[in-house]
Amino acid sequence: MKVLVQLSWFFKQRRKQYGLGIAALVFVSLLQLLPPKIIGFIVDDITKGTLSSSELIKWLIILAAAGVLMYISRYYWRVMIFGSAVLLSRTMREKLFNHFTRMSPSFYQKRRVGDLMAHATNDINAVQQTAGMGILTLVDSISTGGFVILTMALTINWKLTVIALIPFPFMIFLTSYYGRLLRKKFRFAQEAFSSLNDKTQESISGIKVIKTFGQQKEDIQDFTELSTDVVEKNMRVAKIDALFDPTITGIFAISYILSFFFGTKFIIAGDMSIGDMVAFSTYLGLLIWPMLAFGFLFNIVERGNASYSRISELLSITPEIQDVAGAIAVRPEGDLHFDIDEFKFPEDEAPALRDVHFTLRRGETLGIVGKTGSGKTAILKLLLREFEGYKGSIVYGGHPINQYKQQSLRSSIGYVPQDHFLFSTTVAENIAFTNPKVDREKVYEAARLAYIHEDILGFAEGYETVVGERGVSLSGGQKQRISIARALIMQPELLILDDSLSAVDAKTEEAILEALKQTRTGETTIITSHRLSAIQHAHKIIVLEEGTIIEAGTHDELIALEGKYKEMYDLQQLEVLVEQGGEE
Amino acid sequence: MSIEKQPKLTAKDQWIVFKRLLRYAIPHKASITVALILLVLTVTGSIVGPLLIQSFIDNYLTPLDFPKKEVMTLALIYIGLQLFIVVVSYFQSLRFQAIALKVIQQMRIDVFTKVQGLGMRYFDKTPAGSIVSRVTNDTESIKEMFVSVIVTFLQAIFVIIGVYFALFSLDVKLAFMSMGLLPLFMIIVIVYRRYSADFYQDIRERLSQLNAKIAESLSGMGMIQAFRQEERLAKEFDDINEGHYRAGMRNIKFDSVLLGPFIDLLYAIAIVFVLGYFGFMSLESAVDVGIIYAFTTLIGRLFQPVQQVMQRLSIFQQALVSASRVFKLMDDTDMEPSQTDQAKQPIQEGTIEFRDVTFSYDGKNNVLKNISFTANAGETVALVGHTGSGKSSIINLLMRFYEYNQGEILVDGISLKDYPKEELRQKVGLVLQDPFLFYGDIESNIRLHNKEMTGEEVRAAAEFVHANEFIEKLPDKYSQKVTERGSTFSSGQRQLVAFARTIATNPKILVLDEATANIDTETEVAIQASLEKMRKGRTTIAIAHRLSTIQDAELILVLHQGEIVERGNHQQLLAQKGLYYMMYQLQNGLLDDAI
Repeated sequence: MKVLVQLSWFFKQRRKQYGLGIAALVFVSLLQLLPPKIIGFIVDDITKGTLSSSELIKWLIILAAAGVLMYISRYYWRVMIFGSAVLLSRTMREKLFNHFTRMSPSFYQKRRVGDLMAHATNDINAVQQTAGMGILTLVDSISTGGFVILTMALTINWKLTVIALIPFPFMIFLTSYYGRLLRKKFRFAQEAFSSLNDKTQESISGIKVIKTFGQQKEDIQDFTELSTDVVEKNMRVAKIDALFDPTITGIFAISYILSFFFGTKFIIAGDMSIGDMVAFSTYLGLLIWPMLAFGFLFNIVERGNASYSRISELLSITPEIQDVAGAIAVRPEGDLHFDIDEFKFPEDEAPALRDVHFTLRRGETLGIVGKTGSGKTAILKLLLREFEGYKGSIVYGGHPINQYKQQSLRSSIGYVPQDHFLFSTTVAENIAFTNPKVDREKVYEAARLAYIHEDILGFAEGYETVVGERGVSLSGGQKQRISIARALIMQPELLILDDSLSAVDAKTEEAILEALKQTRTGETTIITSHRLSAIQHAHKIIVLEEGTIIEAGTHDELIALEGKYKEMYDLQQLEVLVEQGGEE
Repeated sequence: MSIEKQPKLTAKDQWIVFKRLLRYAIPHKASITVALILLVLTVTGSIVGPLLIQSFIDNYLTPLDFPKKEVMTLALIYIGLQLFIVVVSYFQSLRFQAIALKVIQQMRIDVFTKVQGLGMRYFDKTPAGSIVSRVTNDTESIKEMFVSVIVTFLQAIFVIIGVYFALFSLDVKLAFMSMGLLPLFMIIVIVYRRYSADFYQDIRERLSQLNAKIAESLSGMGMIQAFRQEERLAKEFDDINEGHYRAGMRNIKFDSVLLGPFIDLLYAIAIVFVLGYFGFMSLESAVDVGIIYAFTTLIGRLFQPVQQVMQRLSIFQQALVSASRVFKLMDDTDMEPSQTDQAKQPIQEGTIEFRDVTFSYDGKNNVLKNISFTANAGETVALVGHTGSGKSSIINLLMRFYEYNQGEILVDGISLKDYPKEELRQKVGLVLQDPFLFYGDIESNIRLHNKEMTGEEVRAAAEFVHANEFIEKLPDKYSQKVTERGSTFSSGQRQLVAFARTIATNPKILVLDEATANIDTETEVAIQASLEKMRKGRTTIAIAHRLSTIQDAELILVLHQGEIVERGNHQQLLAQKGLYYMMYQLQNGLLDDAI
């Protein structure tokens, strides 16, 4: 029941709805008592021959009115209670989403998207169940159960009531026990199902191997065995699941037999009438649901508890990188002094960067080259303040970058990542990501600069083409250029291209670089690349190896140095030639 | 999380799909008959119960006359009946579950078998995730239909028939009047189905939108934060969240109006009629009160199944949608290339000849143009060239992954198409660039499903390719667990296991797609040594990324844009000073007299 206390903030917030909903629920419980009673009265009057038509009409009208009132109240409490539960899931989802947007990159490195999704779906669902079905079963089992029992005891015969109720605790106990057992068996069934799922996944990924070795029959055999396991595990679930109805029927029948046996004795003794007996048996029928609800309640709340604490735990995580007190709120611009003595990624042994020092004047372009893992991306991640905890300092526009508000720092930087991530919306919205309301002309301009305008016009729906899974599939080069346009549209003070031209051909690369040079005269640019052609016109080039600078200078200086850079350059010239089939 | 468009089914489509689904139940005719008999028994039992009580009330309780023998018999019959219902209903429900699970298992095996027979073309155009969904998730939602919907529907029909039987036996006139409920039920179910189908569809779509938005935002959080769009995205999410909330509220209201509360209201009205009928009748003539009891109880039994049917309509609808997707896969015609099986003799020599082969994946752009070459028995032909030059396509055709229509590929002078599939699989061994390891252990990955292979043979194969060296260093040696795709092993180690797997089948022809991934030098040496051993005595077609590995090949083909631009052995090609020469230099870093 802990979760109901933990959710009290929500119940308080929705006290009116819950109050009215519960009132309606209780009202229904009371109204429910009428029909059996009325049936009893009419039956008695008929047996005694005292029924008059006016009295009959009175009872029927009351009965019909009770029916209509119940209909209205039932509708009402559902909207109030279930509606609130849906609202709770909406609120929790919103909280969680907002929380996600504040988490630092390290948070996402540690967790898989699938797991976070599970919290946002399954756990929220379980909490919603608690606030809806949980409250319903709690209130209904107490009110309906209580009223029915009281009515039976007070208006018909308390001794008979006690006797009739004897079997019911067994029902609560058994159904609740089945519920727990069922969940356990269900987990096994679920595991068998996910094994089958994994198996299918594996067979499809490895289809070439299977075909090559002519193992289709054997693989199908394997699949058949796993699917047999699924059947077996599910049968175990079924064996428990199938117990519910017979148990309820059985226990209800025992209670019935008891009440008729003893009821008959009471009637003979003159303690009650036949009409009472009929009403009593109808009341017994009304008790089935509250008894079941009582059993359900425990299972619902138990699940809600676990889920709510998982969500709370997630919500209590604070972002690793936060603004310092009195952080500067201006958009940084100016020279960049990068002085890192050492930096290690969290949970890494070896440093990712060692003694990396460079200064970049405003308006200059820096080229960074080096193999995968040489530290190019680490430099950028520090600049973007995705990680901290380095020895040294990064000063941009006169202040260390951690003195700025994160939002201010980011407002200066246009970042084009290696793994170009586009959102599944239109091309135009992807480009205008930083400002959806921007002029169409501006979008075109950015696209032209990134040399993607013509490509986009060639798509079936032009700028309205939806990208991603449901839309058109773009080539790697097109995605890269859209990412570049997305960064350019914000006219960043510092543009960072993280190997963002790797998938475009040499001519396009040249054109984009030329366009950048023309338009970005006063602003700073950093380009990392495998391909030297992308950085050869930079004002300054650094060559990284194993996290440190091994050569630095302009293209001409580095060529003259006859070192690593020169070697890479010559190889790449040859590579270009091979790609073109040996002809220049 | 991917969103798949839900196909819209017309009523006619639904009927066709439903009929096809039911066909899966045919093999279980006998079992279904038994289950149906059990179902009829439970339903009958549950209706006879109130009738027994009615007879008790009217015959003994009202006159307060209790002849011991008769009352005892009646009580025993009632107890026996309840016991009977308890037992029979348990086995009935279990029997239906078993049938449903078996039906679904068969369907799964059928889909999986179909998938295994599909050609690579199908796998190229279909994401793996959606195929997996067809085999598992869609069949799962069909299972829900077989498990809960069909039984509920049948039960509803039997209960309604049974209740009316009972009612007619009690009072023909009132029973006849209560027949008026039937068209009413029909109308409610039809109206409910009409709207709920749309509403449920709507909320399902909104939910998948919502989840897709969360998933996408989580994957793209880096971008969102870098571009300071947290607030906007949160706002967008709120909109979707709110839309989902509204749809949820609409569903609650709709269900409250037409479902539970409404059915209860109808029941209350029905009771008013029953009581009114008997009440007014009693004013004129005597009425047995037991009949009133039986009528009110039995009428109540009529409403339960209707409500249950309505609650399950959405599962039914969803199952039909899933089934239509599954059947679409089952009807796909992109099968793997077929063999004529005309070749009478097995592959003896292993000579391979490509004769003027032109090939295209899409029917438009030729990726291979007039390829001709011969690999003599026991010789190695190496394919080199840049990405997209057509190397892999040659292998794809040789492995019969794709069908070719222009030119001919001959093995020992007989068309590749004429050999039985088993013969090709046995005699042609392929090692893939990215060696795929299956979940299991090392031994099972070498043996695959070949049960006849002894442990000795597995070890011999591993030793032959020098894989034993690393395997024996593993804590569990050959029983070392291989987890998902062998991610705990280095790519070199995976490659060696794949070699062993191929060599264990002792193929006549070897097709190698050399790994491009970084391999540590230690395993690299082992790999080169094994490759050399493996090639001995086998006709080999090898894709080489590192030219150093194929210098001893009898024939090297240099491909560029689907054509063979240079051919010869290593020395001849170097002497030509053409593309091969340049590639060779590139890899050796010899830049002196390059261009």
